[in-house]
Amino acid sequence: MEEPPLIARILVVEDSSAMRAYVRAALEEAGVVREVVEASSGFEALRLLPRESFGLAIVDINMPDVNGLELIRFMRGSDAHKSTPLLVISSEASERDRERGLSLGANAYLAKPFTAEALVEAVRELVPGAEEDQAG
Amino acid sequence: MTGGGDEGDSVRDEFVAEAQEIIEALSRDLLLLDHGQKEGNPDPDLVNSVFRGVHTLKGIAGMFGFADLGEVAHVLEDLLDQLRLGRVELTQEVLDVLFEGVEVLQRLLSAGPEAPEADLDGFRGAVQAVLDLGEEAPSDFGAYDLDTGVLSVLTEYEEHRLRTNIDQGVPLYRLRVRFGLTSIDSDLEELKARAKPIAEIITYLPSMEGGDDDSIDLEVLLASRVDVAELRDALCTASDAELEPVGSRGAGASGHTMTPPPPDEPTTSHPPASPPAAPKRAEERTGAPPAPPRDVGADSLSVRSVAKTVRVDIGKLDHLMNVVGELAIIRSGVGRVLDRVRGNPEFRALATELHRIHRGFERHLDDLQDGILDVRMVPLGQTFDRLARAVRQVSREHGKDVRLQVSGADTEVDKLIVEELTDPLLHIIRNAIDHGIETSSDREAAGKPATGTLALNAYQKGNHVVIEVEDDGSGMDAERILASAVERGAITVEAGEEMQRPEKLGLIFLPGVSTAEAITDLSGRGVGMDVVKTHIARLGGVVDVHSELGIGTKFTITLPITLAIISALVVRVAGRTYCIPLTVVQEALVLDPASVRRVEGHEVITLRGATLPICRLDGLFGLQQPAGASPKEYVVVTSLGQRRLGLVVQGLEGQQDIIIKPLGKTLSDVKGFAGATDLGDQRVVLVLDAPSLLEEVLAGPEVRAAGLGATS
Amino acid sequence: MSGSGITRRDTVVPAAPSRSKEPARGHATRDFLAFGLAGERFALPLAAVREILKVAPITEVPRARPHVLGILSVRGRITTVMDLRRRLRMAPAGDDDKQRRILLVDGGQEVVGLLVDEVYQVYRLHEEEMELAAVVAGDLSEYVFGIGRPGTLDEEVEVERDEILILLDPEPLLKR
Repeated sequence: MEEPPLIARILVVEDSSAMRAYVRAALEEAGVVREVVEASSGFEALRLLPRESFGLAIVDINMPDVNGLELIRFMRGSDAHKSTPLLVISSEASERDRERGLSLGANAYLAKPFTAEALVEAVRELVPGAEEDQAG
Repeated sequence: MTGGGDEGDSVRDEFVAEAQEIIEALSRDLLLLDHGQKEGNPDPDLVNSVFRGVHTLKGIAGMFGFADLGEVAHVLEDLLDQLRLGRVELTQEVLDVLFEGVEVLQRLLSAGPEAPEADLDGFRGAVQAVLDLGEEAPSDFGAYDLDTGVLSVLTEYEEHRLRTNIDQGVPLYRLRVRFGLTSIDSDLEELKARAKPIAEIITYLPSMEGGDDDSIDLEVLLASRVDVAELRDALCTASDAELEPVGSRGAGASGHTMTPPPPDEPTTSHPPASPPAAPKRAEERTGAPPAPPRDVGADSLSVRSVAKTVRVDIGKLDHLMNVVGELAIIRSGVGRVLDRVRGNPEFRALATELHRIHRGFERHLDDLQDGILDVRMVPLGQTFDRLARAVRQVSREHGKDVRLQVSGADTEVDKLIVEELTDPLLHIIRNAIDHGIETSSDREAAGKPATGTLALNAYQKGNHVVIEVEDDGSGMDAERILASAVERGAITVEAGEEMQRPEKLGLIFLPGVSTAEAITDLSGRGVGMDVVKTHIARLGGVVDVHSELGIGTKFTITLPITLAIISALVVRVAGRTYCIPLTVVQEALVLDPASVRRVEGHEVITLRGATLPICRLDGLFGLQQPAGASPKEYVVVTSLGQRRLGLVVQGLEGQQDIIIKPLGKTLSDVKGFAGATDLGDQRVVLVLDAPSLLEEVLAGPEVRAAGLGATS
Repeated sequence: MSGSGITRRDTVVPAAPSRSKEPARGHATRDFLAFGLAGERFALPLAAVREILKVAPITEVPRARPHVLGILSVRGRITTVMDLRRRLRMAPAGDDDKQRRILLVDGGQEVVGLLVDEVYQVYRLHEEEMELAAVVAGDLSEYVFGIGRPGTLDEEVEVERDEILILLDPEPLLKR
């Protein structure tokens, strides 16, 4: 990979370990990120968010306890993350959840199941400066 | 993914491991749900758990090449969705479909990715059949003083739980707590534990105001029938925690609610019993409060699965075991050097110090070994859950009413053994339900309770684990078994006449022997009890059977606890060295040639009043004694299950920890050896396979007839 | 020796000196390891030979088939050793020949040790230097897949009669 990573750190909040592994592998392989930080629950994300900054957050809606929607609302209400690009991943069938996510402030959504290519493309679209880098 | 093979594989492995865990959790939850449904109060949390598990599976299966699995999960998810939204009632039929679904999921997962397309039509049909009875009328939230902010962040499921509670008139509360960021996990677990018996937590809302860098404020929405003061006592343990009821508004919908429009028109028919239905506000109903703590024996297992566990690749454990094995050999080597140093008076001081060091090494090594072995151990409960599912399924298939009793589910066994145990146990259970336990009417006619009992019992006994499968069915007819064996030519009529009852029952382990009128091919594989026996023998164990006509049958499986490092007795036979696993060794004594007698052509001695058959290993193995061999001989008394055999050897060299390594396929036709081991000093030594030796030597009908080999 | 794919242990096996002046013609050649047994010259595909060991103490296995000499431990792995003479139904060897070696051969299902009298060298045979089994008669045909005549492609070199190699097929050889 010649191009430097687009994003320094991406937060992935998802309760399935296999999904996290998949997302990590896809992002790292495409070289779009320097560091992938994983959170296996909304709570874990809450622990990380106040102190850390991320170039992008990928959030699964349907998680137990603190679900993705609550996390998004929390992030948009906080100083640190009100502008962090947010990609919501949700099950294909739950349109309602997806719409809620967008209305609460997420920037884009990706329906499961998705390919690694689709994920990387969605990430590139969300990060400012992506187009120019590509063209170069 | 275009990733390199390795990376793709390890991500896929991650999926398989996660999927397996999910399926096991589904199985446990369904069993509990089944139990709850029979008692009349199924726990909605369980339905949610099952839904969640299936939903996760659906989401990830397709991405890792398990398209069929994803589809089945999708189908199940639809059903579960209807269940949790109260549109379909949880009946035994629905549970049947769910159980079948889990079986299908397991099969598909085991078949691997890109397996040939499975025929799922039958299953889909079954699901559709139960789905075709669905209806509901949702309530609205206007009656409650919940702000739009809260409602907007509820997922569909959480909304449903909220709705259900409202319909059932369960009061809502808001609990504000503060958790320190570093202790958030344990604080959460604690809160959940305290809340579980008295309330249902609907959701957690992280609050934006309040909190600081080190802590976070949360608003917890919950429903509970318990009195406010008691709730406060239980949940507001921190000084800054606050609990408030969510007040209800006056009648009439307000514009604040954000509920989606009701999907269906409320129907006029009234659904039977439990599911929350009619659109009423806060009306008292005898709905189901959160179920009391579960007590179905799988309890300790459910808690454990939530606790701190690490997934370990068994290959890594094997590697560690090998390293420990090498260390054990080194330790023996150090011991030998120590002995030599000791023998020299010049090195007295050195010897003492070396001895001290050696002792320390030994202690820690034992600890390490125990620790690693412990990691390999898994509770049998896992297997028992799987069997419980099968019991349910087979009972229904054959129209038998069977109750399963389990004890000792937390008895631990090496993971590799556990995996091999499922099949033989399944087979025994299927036979017990199909042939053993009678139909309810037959049972009542015989004066037995209509419900048959199948008991699964496991416990540790010394270095072994004993698993019992007992039924209170019709028992086995020894004469019919004998007749069947003779008919199939497995034994001669004469040999049969000389048999005692236990030996006759033991004939079921010969291939092809069966007492059923028609050989019902339950597993579709045409396997008989002989396969069960071979399977268990492979694990180094034995299986015994006891039965009384009209009363019941009990199978007893005795297994070594672990296959990995074992203690062995090193012996010499005709100048060669062999190892005998200590797990089967009862004792060793000097053989007094005068005490050997012959009974029915076999050599025996008397040990504490009982007859013990003996076997000269040099004769059995065809080994010549080296010239000048000492005439002194020893008898190593081995015992397994109910039988004993004395092995005659020419030397006892002591005890050693060894790792048994398998012999290659080329030697698979050689009888009597469990494998070989490296004793250090470059000595490769064969390890005797006690069960197969016992079998071989004690198998002759003459031996049986004389009642030899039975434990005193 | 780079590229030959076998690990030598306590022995040296020279690679094939080039018999032909032309370089090997790529795909149409195959490497074989030649060894001696009861006065005959045999060869196994080099790809199937994992290691060559000096004879080490072998633990006998009671009641195994007659051509099984026993087992030994190769870096911790228990490996069965066969007496190839017996396997091929040839006369048994005289004792203790220092040239004897054990070839560790991969038969597809398992790696088994074969005791041979002497190891010669690696030959690279062109397909035209091999005559396949259909042409070979005799009762070794189960394990033999052909005859090799190294060096026949090079007209300047004369192939001696006793340089003919009997090419063995590892899979049936190691099967029970």
